[in-house]
Amino acid sequence: MKRREFILTTAAATSVACLPSMFTMAQAASGALVVKVEGESPYDITKKAVELLGGMQKFIAKGDVVMIKPNIGWNRSVEQAANTNPEVVKAVVEMVKEAGAKKVIVMDHTCHKAEDTYKRSGIEAAAKEAGAEVRYVDEKRLTIHDFNGVRLKRWPIFKDFLEVDKFINVPILKHHGSAGITIGMKNLYGILGGERGKLHRDMGQGIADLAGGFKPHLTIIDAYRVLLRNGPIGGRISDVELKKTVIASTNIMEADVVAVALFGEEPMRFDFIRAAAEKKMGFSELDKINLKYLKI
Amino acid sequence: MKAKTGKTIQRIRIAVQVLFTFLFFYLLLKSGYARAESFTFTDYFFYFDPLLLLLNFLATGTIITVFLLSVIPLLLSFVFGRFFCGWVCPMGAVMQFFTWLFRRKDKKKKIKETVDKKLLKLKYVILIMLIIAALFGTHLGGWFDPFSLLTRSAALTVNPAVNHTVSRVLERGAMDEGFVSKALNPAYQFARKNILTNKQRVYSQAVLIGLIFFALIMLNMYKRRFYCNYLCPLGALYGIVSRFSLFNLKTNKACTSCTACKNDCTYAGSPFKDYMKSECMTCFNCVDDCPADAVDIAFALPRKENRTTIDLGRRRMVGSAAAAVFLAALPRAFVHAKSKIHKFLRPPGSVKEKDFLGKCVRCGQCMQVCPTNFIQPAFLEAGVEGIWTPVLNAQTGYCEYECNKCTKVCPTNAIETLEIEKKKKFKMGIAVIDKDRCYTYADGYNCAVCEEHCPIPEKAIRFRDVPTWNFKGEQVTVKQIYVVPNLCTGCGICENKCPRIDAPGIIMTAEEEEREFSYDY
Repeated sequence: MKRREFILTTAAATSVACLPSMFTMAQAASGALVVKVEGESPYDITKKAVELLGGMQKFIAKGDVVMIKPNIGWNRSVEQAANTNPEVVKAVVEMVKEAGAKKVIVMDHTCHKAEDTYKRSGIEAAAKEAGAEVRYVDEKRLTIHDFNGVRLKRWPIFKDFLEVDKFINVPILKHHGSAGITIGMKNLYGILGGERGKLHRDMGQGIADLAGGFKPHLTIIDAYRVLLRNGPIGGRISDVELKKTVIASTNIMEADVVAVALFGEEPMRFDFIRAAAEKKMGFSELDKINLKYLKI
Repeated sequence: MKAKTGKTIQRIRIAVQVLFTFLFFYLLLKSGYARAESFTFTDYFFYFDPLLLLLNFLATGTIITVFLLSVIPLLLSFVFGRFFCGWVCPMGAVMQFFTWLFRRKDKKKKIKETVDKKLLKLKYVILIMLIIAALFGTHLGGWFDPFSLLTRSAALTVNPAVNHTVSRVLERGAMDEGFVSKALNPAYQFARKNILTNKQRVYSQAVLIGLIFFALIMLNMYKRRFYCNYLCPLGALYGIVSRFSLFNLKTNKACTSCTACKNDCTYAGSPFKDYMKSECMTCFNCVDDCPADAVDIAFALPRKENRTTIDLGRRRMVGSAAAAVFLAALPRAFVHAKSKIHKFLRPPGSVKEKDFLGKCVRCGQCMQVCPTNFIQPAFLEAGVEGIWTPVLNAQTGYCEYECNKCTKVCPTNAIETLEIEKKKKFKMGIAVIDKDRCYTYADGYNCAVCEEHCPIPEKAIRFRDVPTWNFKGEQVTVKQIYVVPNLCTGCGICENKCPRIDAPGIIMTAEEEEREFSYDY
């Protein structure tokens, strides 16, 4: 074989080998709309955001059992912005009900004692008022789930999250000590059981594996009150800033990227965004994202 | 007096007894652990306990004002005798219940129990020993006091045991996929929501405390109301007072000496023979049992011939007092009294150790209300006299930042009430990093679970980028954690959440604890 032939065949082989990955990249980037709505009422902007995405009936079929997973991790009040805003949760529950869901469940695997966090966060009351079933995790109802990730391979998750037809992720945007920032992908830690602390090692990869292996049908990020420092638990009102925004998308990674930008940071600075970009879960460049912004 | 009237009074008594018992357990269960902010009124029964008033006064030299309420039943005893034991005391009701349950149905086979005058003296000996020991600074009332004993046993052993059994039965059925599951699942979900604790409660001394309670119950097979008659120091105190009471039971001319009145007498005496005011719990069983309507209530001034009681004897009194002096000195001779190091932490709001041991009645209420199961009964870690006093265990729980329940329930203010903002700053101790274990030091990779959970808004645990070598021998930059001692309160959540499984990489210690620590007497 001549040198020229060799180079040619190698180049051809390489490009053929690269094709599938290029294809998936194109696929991941196609179509996912991210909406960002700013406004005075967390309830109204949540409704508006879903409306811009095409309305809840686009994601929920009649008779569906729907799981809504806010962040209810901490025994902190609404003003301290460590948990998802109850008004946002309420709006989501209402929309899901209106779309014809048979049953709506709100639950999270909390860090503090569930009875306390559910109550102080205001989510228990808001969700019940809107007609959802509020459930605590039951340590006896765990099953091993295959995430097939680089870092996260098999891990116990609560059966409740698998037994539903649709899964809506409703995180809050806030600062996080070890991950840097916690948004939609990190919020999925709440479906996991077991010794979750172990996952703090090489956390960025773990978060991306988690979101890659368990995809929510919809992600609605509460960025109304944003905890800028001392997260994820915070406590000082002075660390909280009003951003009055809700971000929603079917693409969890791109929703996160938009949220990072809102936080005032460079997305690729964070391990979990880098790891997710490597997994081709979406664009990490803001200008490539199909973003719709509205202020009401 | 007519047997019918006796029956009526007996029934009223049982109703009153059940009412008080129900109230006691209602308050106990209601104040449970579900939420950081809820009901905390379990301590009300303790305020009516003159024994604890007395022992606390002797041990610490102070009177807890609210305990002066206990003078009420004491004064009533001068009129009605030991009515408290028969009508009010929930521990008495429990013992009465099991005595009734264990009674022999067949009258012929019934073991004729007779008054055991020797054994009846035991509770007086216990009372004297507790008083003398308290005088010398060792307050062990909580080990014997009926309220402490019942609260401790019910809250730390019976309740978790019932919870375990119920949830196991239900969840076994409810977890299977199939017919049984469909039938049982609603019951399981209902129980989980309303009866069961979300997580099974555990207590380090549950086995010992539970076995003692079990033994006390089983002893009712051997003698009627064993604990009340032979062990209870509060009963002894009421016995001494009742000696001088106006209340008497007497037989009249109609008596045929049939001794039917003995059949159900709580102390196996009777108004006919061996009547002792100090032992009579005014249960009216004898009036009810008498076929000849021959038992009468007689109010009479407590003249000498009317002071029917157990004679302890001067020798025994002096002897038990002397023994108590020696026994009270033993803990002082125990190694704990000298050790500079102490490895246990007390709940927030605890008074200095010397007063703590003088005040704490080991009732376990703080342990029961703690929402995270953080407060545990000690065994020997706080010294011999510290058995069953509350200590903190970060392996079972942590101090919830927004909670101050334990400071509200303590009946004797061994844990003083702290407003929530004050509690948030109360220093139980501080966290110390074990650098041979912490992943960020020993293995050289990022972890910071403790930093994440630290509830202090300014963060008492932080991290900084440090170049180091990881477990593969590579040079890396790691976010190594460090503690800010003057912000840390020793809440223990860092130790509780540390993912390391052999031993935590960060532990809470009593170093820098806010209260004064000294065994100095």
